[in-house]
Amino acid sequence: MAKREIDLSLVDVENREMRLGSIISWDGSAEELVDNSRYELRSRDKRKSLEGCSGKKEKGCRLCELNMPFNQQTMCTHSIVGCQVGNIPDCILIEHSPIGCSAIHARFNLGYKMGLARRGKKIENIQIFSTNLLENDMVFGASDKLRQTILDAHNRFSPKAIFISMSCSTAIIGEDIESVAQEMEEELEIPIIPLFCEGFRSKHWSTGFDISQHGIMRQIVNKHPQKQEDLINIIALWGTDYFTEILKPLGLRVNYMIDMASFDELAQASEAAVTATFCHTLGSYMATALENEYGVPQVDAGQPYGFKGTDDWLRSIAKIMGKEDIIEEYIKAEHERVLPKIEALRKKLSGIKGFVATGSSYAHGMISVIRELGIEVDGSIVFHHDPVYDSGKSEQDTLKELVDTYGNIDHFTVSKTQQFQFYNLLNRVNPDFIIIRHNGLAPLAAKIGIPAFAMGDEHFPVGYDGIIRVGEALIEILARKKFGQVLKRHVKLPYTDWWLSQKDPFILARNPGILDEVAEPQLLESLTEDASPETPIIKSA
Amino acid sequence: MTEVNQTKKSNTIVHPRYGCAIGAINTVAAIPRGIPIANCGPGCADKQYFMLSFSNGFQGAGYSGGGALPSTNVGENEIVFGGHKKLDDLIKSSLKIMDGDIYVVLTGCSIELIGDDVGAIVKEYQEKGYPVVHAEAAGFKGNNLTGHENVVKAIIDQYVGEYKGRKKKGLINLWFDVPYYHANWRGDSIELKRVLEGAGFKVNVLFGSESGGVSEWKEVPKAQFNLVVSPWVGLEIAKHLETKYKQPFLHVPVIPIGEEATTEFIRELVDFAGIDNKKAEAFISTEAERYYYFLEHFSEFFSEYWFGLPARFVTVGDAAYNLAITKFLTDQIGLIPTKQIITDNTPEKHRQNIQKLFHDISDEFPLDVEFIEDGYVIEEKVRNVDYGSSVPLILGSSWESDVAKEIKGLLIPISTPIVSEVVINRTYVGYHGALTLLEKIYSETVRG
Repeated sequence: MAKREIDLSLVDVENREMRLGSIISWDGSAEELVDNSRYELRSRDKRKSLEGCSGKKEKGCRLCELNMPFNQQTMCTHSIVGCQVGNIPDCILIEHSPIGCSAIHARFNLGYKMGLARRGKKIENIQIFSTNLLENDMVFGASDKLRQTILDAHNRFSPKAIFISMSCSTAIIGEDIESVAQEMEEELEIPIIPLFCEGFRSKHWSTGFDISQHGIMRQIVNKHPQKQEDLINIIALWGTDYFTEILKPLGLRVNYMIDMASFDELAQASEAAVTATFCHTLGSYMATALENEYGVPQVDAGQPYGFKGTDDWLRSIAKIMGKEDIIEEYIKAEHERVLPKIEALRKKLSGIKGFVATGSSYAHGMISVIRELGIEVDGSIVFHHDPVYDSGKSEQDTLKELVDTYGNIDHFTVSKTQQFQFYNLLNRVNPDFIIIRHNGLAPLAAKIGIPAFAMGDEHFPVGYDGIIRVGEALIEILARKKFGQVLKRHVKLPYTDWWLSQKDPFILARNPGILDEVAEPQLLESLTEDASPETPIIKSA
Repeated sequence: MTEVNQTKKSNTIVHPRYGCAIGAINTVAAIPRGIPIANCGPGCADKQYFMLSFSNGFQGAGYSGGGALPSTNVGENEIVFGGHKKLDDLIKSSLKIMDGDIYVVLTGCSIELIGDDVGAIVKEYQEKGYPVVHAEAAGFKGNNLTGHENVVKAIIDQYVGEYKGRKKKGLINLWFDVPYYHANWRGDSIELKRVLEGAGFKVNVLFGSESGGVSEWKEVPKAQFNLVVSPWVGLEIAKHLETKYKQPFLHVPVIPIGEEATTEFIRELVDFAGIDNKKAEAFISTEAERYYYFLEHFSEFFSEYWFGLPARFVTVGDAAYNLAITKFLTDQIGLIPTKQIITDNTPEKHRQNIQKLFHDISDEFPLDVEFIEDGYVIEEKVRNVDYGSSVPLILGSSWESDVAKEIKGLLIPISTPIVSEVVINRTYVGYHGALTLLEKIYSETVRG
């Protein structure tokens, strides 16, 4: 198993689909996906071409995808960069784009303020700047506007660093944000970090995590670290601080990154004793970069979900910290502490079936937790799939670990928040509830009578107590089925009967000709003249 | 973060208060069984949804918006080789998968910049008789308000089509709130339709729960006249219809709030349309009686509440709501307008007229109206207003939450974005809405 190459001398990051062979559209069983991913092989030789389903050598080791002619709106890398480096309290992100690219800020602000509260930091509005580009800027270029906005950010808030994010339009017109960043960095003497995250560049938004982390690694992380032996990096999002409690016996202080972290907290990442994360999909790039560049070791384990996942995760950290002697006793005591409550929850949740729809490796953890509670899972969605993570560590192969520990999932689908497929997918397995992150899918589930647990606090299921938290929350969520049943009785879905009758959510990819076989929809009726007498035309006001 | 000092006005915007032209996907989604098709990057429609629906009273996206919305999700391949095929595939499959009556393609920045001929693709479908329309919606060309006007014009031209027949006396096309952008648009639409029908008109509301969908849109050319109830949004539509269908329009720049304004509004309309005023006057009399029954009760609280009421207020919002609410609070309640900031990037040609409308509200208090879009500057201005001896009253967006907290003011959300309230069917306009607005402001007051 070899570490993936991460080249911090380059300003840009390679897209996930090229770097890891990530896919966004696939359907099969979890076991098949483990087999097809060939994690070990990919981790040994990143550039080795693998045979695709068609038998042809495919560039970038891609799994075979089911390409659909129909797509629904999703999310882009630009958005991810905004919700990452836009959430650093003493730094400023400038979105070099028309104003529409910044339309999500009020939503980011909700998460950011919640995150600040969870981390005990001062709660105040997010400050992301837009260069607010207009038609003339598309014709004549907008570098002067970018310079002006950089100065505005500097004059208004004196940030410790400024990020610049590229958008679709500024990428197409060829804005040179790298040169402007360099020039202004010299003038203002703070890091100015260009991020190439235009929405069209990668087929999956998660490349935006890597772009954000890459920029921080290159221009913020301390290049001359003074080791802090009790510091653990947790690459996270906005989750509640459960990690401090979990890691207390190991005497570790948690350094959360990237959201809500200050410039100095990000800078000290290279000084930590170890790096871990609640989700390898999110954290693997930065954890590996810190390991390669500064020798900060990362966990040799999956993720801290369910008994086995949490046990392995704690053992791995203890091993790195040289505290193997105390960890077994802690694990044993924790099991004894939580088991009675979990047993009680297992009884209450007996016979219930769940369905998970979240980001990639987080879903693997989430399914572990609900299976730990005795809940059946025979179908789930991940919004993309990374056949390997940047670490290349076989211990981090979370999908394999899920299947090995808790068994197969018959219907395991990769689909990037495609609501129209979600109907067929849910009907295929008919769950009692769904657990979900990202928007767009849960409303459909509600309209067919299935309540959704919107997992807004991503740390909620973490650790031994996470199993209890999820179990208790699910009892509350299941009660909402009443509301779903009301909707189901009275609300129509926006899909045609033809589509709703399809058994295969990927039929359009497997049989593209099927669209031609469907009956024509109602054609435009021409306007008919009204027979009533003409009213005299009135002059306008 | 510590603030250093204020810079001069520039292109910069923080805390945006509108989306881009692609935000007009919501205009299409607001038409019953209307299906928007976004022809742009993968995140564009999502971001506009978050600005105009989610972070704006958590309105929900309805039948065909939000996660249901078809999008080409343009990738690198389309940028290099063109997006014709992907759009063609999407339209073709949308017609089979999405159960709608009209499909409107909105083209965003990236496709506009690479120069795809979207019109030609859509035209093929139109020629075969499919109800497909296309509209330019590049974000660098305009915001969601002008995007709304463009989409409406595109539907008129490409779907409703030519009409040279007769008009129906008493039938009105209502051009009013921008769907989803005005968080109360659904409730507003119900109230204004109620008022217009009460006065003896028939009305094409065109969006929301009261609309008849495409069959109502097909009635547009038959209306006696177009009614624009907004300082500027909708005027382009009305002028277009005037040319296209020789249909006159009446422009009422101030949305009526309260009995006196709504009654005056009805009388102006009846006069303009030349319809019999009997039904209208009977309706006015019933409404007025009910209104003052409630206002009388409210007046007792208002007169003898011991614990302090707000007096000076600022408004931060789009021209329409800003103007209407400022007028109601100044003219009907006796509050003191202190600073009025219009945030919707009102086109230059309308600004002078709108300023005059504000100035006409009060002889007693000179109104200070500014057009600003940068939240940083707006919040600075709100912070520095002299609120006198009473609790500061800020009618604005949720972006004003920090400054409201700082100056210990009351924040009443009236403009995008709104994240402190869930909006379902409420309205602040007409007879009923005025009372709800009072309920809202003074509930916040007594809550403290």
